[in-house]
Amino acid sequence: MIQMEPKILGKSDIKRNSKHSKTMVSLQRKEGLQGYLFIAPWIIGFLFFLAGPLLFSLYGSFTNYNITSSMDFIGLDNFKKMFTNDPIIWLSLRNTLYFVVVSVPLTTAGAVLLAVLLNQGVRGMRVFRTIFYLPAVLSGVGVYLLWMQLLSPSTGLVNTLLGFVGIEGPAWLTDPSWTKNALIFMKMWSVGGGMLLYLASLQGVSPSLYEAAEIDGASTFRKFFHITLPMITPVIFFDLVTSTIGAFQIFQEAYVMSESGDGGPANSLVFYNLHMWNKAFEVFDMGYAMAMSWVLFIIILVLTVFNLKLAPRWVHYEGEDQK
Amino acid sequence: MTLLILAMSFSLILTGCSSKESGANESGSKSKNGEKVVIDFWTFWGSETRRPIIEKIIDDFNKSQDKIEVKHTYLPWGDVWTKNLASIAAGNPADLIINDINAVGHRAKNNQNTNLAKYLKKDPAVKDRFFPELYNASLYKGDPYALPFNTDTRLLFWNKKMFKEAGLDPNTPPKTWAELEEMGKKLDVKKGNKYERIGYLPNQGIGADVWMINADGKGYWDFDANKAVINDETNVKALTWMKNYYDYYGDKTINNFKAEFGEQTADPFVAGKLAMTTDNANFFTKIRDYGEGMEFGVAPLPEMEPGTGNESWGGGFVAEIPKGAKHPDEAWEFLKYLTDVQAQEYWAVKNFDIVANKEAAEKASTSTEFTEDGKKVYSLANENMKQTLLTPTPIEAPDYINLIQPEIESVLLGKKSPKEGLDDAQKAVEELVKNNK
Repeated sequence: MIQMEPKILGKSDIKRNSKHSKTMVSLQRKEGLQGYLFIAPWIIGFLFFLAGPLLFSLYGSFTNYNITSSMDFIGLDNFKKMFTNDPIIWLSLRNTLYFVVVSVPLTTAGAVLLAVLLNQGVRGMRVFRTIFYLPAVLSGVGVYLLWMQLLSPSTGLVNTLLGFVGIEGPAWLTDPSWTKNALIFMKMWSVGGGMLLYLASLQGVSPSLYEAAEIDGASTFRKFFHITLPMITPVIFFDLVTSTIGAFQIFQEAYVMSESGDGGPANSLVFYNLHMWNKAFEVFDMGYAMAMSWVLFIIILVLTVFNLKLAPRWVHYEGEDQK
Repeated sequence: MTLLILAMSFSLILTGCSSKESGANESGSKSKNGEKVVIDFWTFWGSETRRPIIEKIIDDFNKSQDKIEVKHTYLPWGDVWTKNLASIAAGNPADLIINDINAVGHRAKNNQNTNLAKYLKKDPAVKDRFFPELYNASLYKGDPYALPFNTDTRLLFWNKKMFKEAGLDPNTPPKTWAELEEMGKKLDVKKGNKYERIGYLPNQGIGADVWMINADGKGYWDFDANKAVINDETNVKALTWMKNYYDYYGDKTINNFKAEFGEQTADPFVAGKLAMTTDNANFFTKIRDYGEGMEFGVAPLPEMEPGTGNESWGGGFVAEIPKGAKHPDEAWEFLKYLTDVQAQEYWAVKNFDIVANKEAAEKASTSTEFTEDGKKVYSLANENMKQTLLTPTPIEAPDYINLIQPEIESVLLGKKSPKEGLDDAQKAVEELVKNNK
């Protein structure tokens, strides 16, 4: 990069001259060039660190690549194996779907609810907003370890609190029928990120709509369901699409919070990406793992297209013609 | 024009990388007469206790001759394997690396390490240094691809004070599974319906797999017949015993117990919540450092029935030369030193680790640096190596444990009977083997 500097200097020198002698076209050219220069880091990054590996993994998914000894073209064998010969992949897909289906609506509803509550003009709203947003800032492994403590069956804070109201809490992370719910519960804690989006869009809802509704004698509930919700549907839609994609990619939580990272107990935390990771970095069956990643891509793609197709039925954009 | 700039800036990045590489090569390559050959040795021993020990060994070697200089590169656990693979694929690996003993064959099959047969032909005596079980685990198709460095073995530890309290002879550990269970239950302390102390938990420290090995010397895999024997009779028997023992306390008690003593926190035996435990020989260091003078006994694992044998299980690490290493000959010289008596004894004593070199392990067990307790544990562990089975991952079944472990968990959770669970695991592994042939 350092070498480029004199070049740029040189160009600006020319530019000064060109004011008098050269045409506007060449000036535009130069500006265009500089523009490309500025985005060059991104383009290089994209080509070599994204597009390159992407294409490589597409090709790799048709091979038995294992990093060191083989990379033979084996056609669709990896995909065949997925459908006929890998019992864990179906289990992992089921676990992942469960997580998506339960966690996405819950976190979305939670975020909307929180945002609406905070939008009531309560005193100290800034403080609450910060508090609720805080978990979204804290990241990764530290938080998971904290939650492992909180969810500990007999001394954890969660079960202690449940104990006060007479509920005997489950063994969150060791009982396979509770492990996924434990993760979803944990996810609910960090809905602050979505909340902030909703809060912004709530504040963009024109007060005149509420005034008009009040004059017509609409109740609070009717106002919420007929004004507030429709007005923020674009954000709900965005949140839904992105968090569905995110939920399909769940990995870290299971990797950190299950015993020795294997997705136990009884495979209850084996998510699709964890299984893929095991295939790639435990047994180095890279070709197979690459094929898995493309299947996941297709699943997410189909779902997202489906979401987009469904959107016009319920997403309301202001100023758009209603059918 | 744009492309040109792109190409230029990219080539800049490339030259940035390659100049670094060539720099590394320069220092690593054999330079003109008289200069030392520098070899790169990768380990994951970066802790305050281990790092100085391995570096002292390296230092001793460097001073012992003037042809080779070993450079130690520490890479974190886990990271070291992926880095090793990437560097082998890039053709620029370390000269020597510490790696897992159970997958030597897999790495050999996948061109990741170097066949040492030609070196052993020159130095045939090297082979006899090691516990045979360990040396055998380093073979692939009859040729050695690594030399064993250290190992471990599972033993039974018991708390003598608790034995006395419960009216048991503190010097007589359980000899059989039945005795273990009987004594274990006597050692329980219950307050209301909560256990304050548990005598013994059969899946604390070791799992069902070790009890299966203990039962008949074979675990999931019959290494002589080279096939899966997951659902053989003794395995079902072992798992049934474990399951019944498990049910005596119930999910809730055990889950709570497990969660209280996660991997990060204190060990329940050391914390006085468990009267007996089964663990690695070097578990002793935890008792020594945190047990506050606990009086403990140590013995081989109890046997299934009188006469079935006290077979135990071990793992360990090897040192090997990655495929494509620049200086295999020099690496071999250091490898020999690393597995020779002096270095091995030093490692054994300083780390309280069972080493692969028989003579060194023998010497260490009488080391004056150990306390009486230390000597007791070390010499027992040394003795126990005779009945310690290693379970290198079968070539045909790379990730078979991933298929078995969830079945075992399902059995312990009562979702399947031991026979059903093991039958399913057997079927899944057979399928895996079929696909890998």
